Amino acid sequence: MDIATLQAYGYFFFTGFLVVVLYSYIYHLYSSQKKGIRDYEKYSNIALHDDITDPPIEEISKNDEIKR
Amino acid sequence: MDNRPLEYDYTIAKWFMLTTVVLGIVGMLVGVILAWQMAFPAVNTFAGEGLAEYTNFSRLRPLHTDAVIFGFTLSGIFATWYYIGQRVLKVSMAESRFLMFLGKLHFWLYLLLVAAVVVSLLLGITTSKEYAEFEWPIDIAVVVVWVIWGMGLFGLIGIRREKSLYISIWYYIATFLGIAMLYLFNNMAIPTYFVSGGIGAWYHSVSMYSGTNDALVQWWYGHNAVAFGFTVPIVAMIYYFLPKESGQAVYSYKLSLLAFWGLMFVYLWAGGHHLLFSTVPDWMQTMGSVFSVVLILPSWGSAINMLLTMKGEWQQVAASPLIKFMILASTFYMFSTLEGPIQAIKSVNALAHFTDWIVGHVHDGALGWVAFMIMAALFHMAPRVFKREIYSKSLMNTQFWVQTLGVVLYFTSMWIAGITQGMMWRAHDEFGNLAYSFIDTVSVLQPYFTIRAVGGTLYLVGMFLFAYNMYKTMTSSRRVEENELQNASPMGA
Amino acid sequence: MFHWLEKNPFFFAVAVFVVIAFAGLIEILPNFAQASRPVIGTKPYTTLELAGRHVYIKNSCNACHSQLIRPFKSETDRYGKYSLSGEYAYDRPFLWGSKRTGPDLMRVGNYRTTDWHENHMKNPVAVVPGSIMPAYRWMFKNTADIDTAFAEQLTIMKAFAVPYNTEIPMADGSKVTVALADTVEGARASALEEAKVITADMKDQAVKDAVAAGTIPEIVAIIAYMNSLK
Repeated sequence: MDIATLQAYGYFFFTGFLVVVLYSYIYHLYSSQKKGIRDYEKYSNIALHDDITDPPIEEISKNDEIKR
Repeated sequence: MDNRPLEYDYTIAKWFMLTTVVLGIVGMLVGVILAWQMAFPAVNTFAGEGLAEYTNFSRLRPLHTDAVIFGFTLSGIFATWYYIGQRVLKVSMAESRFLMFLGKLHFWLYLLLVAAVVVSLLLGITTSKEYAEFEWPIDIAVVVVWVIWGMGLFGLIGIRREKSLYISIWYYIATFLGIAMLYLFNNMAIPTYFVSGGIGAWYHSVSMYSGTNDALVQWWYGHNAVAFGFTVPIVAMIYYFLPKESGQAVYSYKLSLLAFWGLMFVYLWAGGHHLLFSTVPDWMQTMGSVFSVVLILPSWGSAINMLLTMKGEWQQVAASPLIKFMILASTFYMFSTLEGPIQAIKSVNALAHFTDWIVGHVHDGALGWVAFMIMAALFHMAPRVFKREIYSKSLMNTQFWVQTLGVVLYFTSMWIAGITQGMMWRAHDEFGNLAYSFIDTVSVLQPYFTIRAVGGTLYLVGMFLFAYNMYKTMTSSRRVEENELQNASPMGA
Repeated sequence: MFHWLEKNPFFFAVAVFVVIAFAGLIEILPNFAQASRPVIGTKPYTTLELAGRHVYIKNSCNACHSQLIRPFKSETDRYGKYSLSGEYAYDRPFLWGSKRTGPDLMRVGNYRTTDWHENHMKNPVAVVPGSIMPAYRWMFKNTADIDTAFAEQLTIMKAFAVPYNTEIPMADGSKVTVALADTVEGARASALEEAKVITADMKDQAVKDAVAAGTIPEIVAIIAYMNSLK
């Protein structure tokens, strides 16, 4: 098994892996939006409400790990 | 700290806005000179026979590409970063002395670098690799400047108040990483002065790669320098400025996520399309072709997201020249990300490669998409950083139409020129001999070269209008209050 | 898990890097050893030829001239045999170019002479009516940088084992040795010898005088380089 064969396998499986990840990502995004688990679209507002006095869409807080 | 309310600090953004305008004019002026030289070779000695060495086409050509890429575009990227970065992370540069210092250092070193590049290219000190012409001392300085920017970038992210990174920030991070990786690998070289024990020019170096390998690395770099210089950071800009200026949230945040990861994965593979029918292995050429076509998807993902953001708000396009600039930019983005893959198809490439069609493609991307978006960004930023309204809306409109006409003349003439020349190169007569000598295929292009030069000149005129408008905005326009700056930028008649 | 990345800049950056570095790993690494093997008949540049190559680069000749013949009938008819990977084994950097405003120069040494180049570089239109190439008259005055060329030869011999002073087999079975001097003085002398051969075919008196007096104008070096392109 030379380096070229290894690379071919590596390429094949990594690409396959990324495709699976991408599609499950799409599924996850749209299903969790639909079920109301998480509203992704609110993050678009980061650009619209960006004055320094505007409250952040999601505050950085110390107890992140507990939240999820 | 005193009791003044916290404000965003745009000092460095302002400085980079200035270099964007100045270097934009320089780069495009050189480009226009080049265009006239191709149409009328006498222009090569416009500064006299004595200076011909420094004014002829071949010496100026790298200066044009580098001034536009690393002068105009990069300045625009930095200017918008120092503006958008603070806003979407909701943290001011004024909050950290260290980041402020890094930013200033970044700017001044960058300026020094620009000077060094201009001088060395005029003297003909070059490695010959396109968009990587600089010799090793400048390369090292480039790396230093880049690292300083990166420290500033991640530093600002580190002290942010907004937990989630906005779309634009992803693209800036990708720009930083992508260029760093590509630039380092492509510029690997050995300084000959040290290895040979002090013989010859101290700044000379020899590439670590030879022949076909060198070509592979170069076009892996060259193509992706376009990706991470002309696409990724410009997408970062439009994802912020179009929603902000129009007051519309991005049509789909989810789509932007998918387009981002798609673009990251696919773009790097497409470099091989610069080397079709060369001595690079076949499978790599095919891969380059295939991925170039796949690349349409993530590119259009972003572009369509932008156009849909304007859904139901199209009257704004007619009303605001600023939105017009951005919508035209994303239209040109769609257009040139469709044209690129077409040219990457092997049979089309056989015809198009080495011709002016490629030059046309680069310019509808660079002029129509990159420059339009950067100018729109600067127009949007100007009232906010100078606290004055944009000096003249009608001047903006004029500039828009003058430059649009310029781009259209440019790419149409180059299409015709490229396809004509490609067809003539391959034409055989009835006996199987070549139908045209090489010079026939050059002479036939003269009218198209002239049209192109006119197009380029129009665009440059637009740049001067832009510079004048910015200058007036900076110095003598009506002052505006904070509450006028929510969405649509205030403009004088 | 998925939204996590956009909140963690470090891992976000790592993910971006992995995804973009992947293509480079697969595409560029595997071919390195294979592509750099010279084909029979390819030999490294002499000092003067390399100095000429530097003149070629200094003036960005590659902005308008390619050095890559694609495997199409129209190209092989016009420029000669299509290019092979191994023929570029000693090209650092490669000079394929990306635009043919002028014709390909990969094998220009086969069909153009010293005399032709001399006239052409001085005034292209006089040789090729309608040419849009600028004249390169300063090459007749500027002195070629032999020292830097020699420094590069030493460097590539040390770093990449380029076979100077070694017998190299040619296509017809003969052997050729490309000599490399030990000292910079020796390199200057051998470059001057080469230059004299070139100037014997040239007409420009100032250039002839310069070479006779021991300095080599850029034009002589670049002609030596172009004559070597076969």
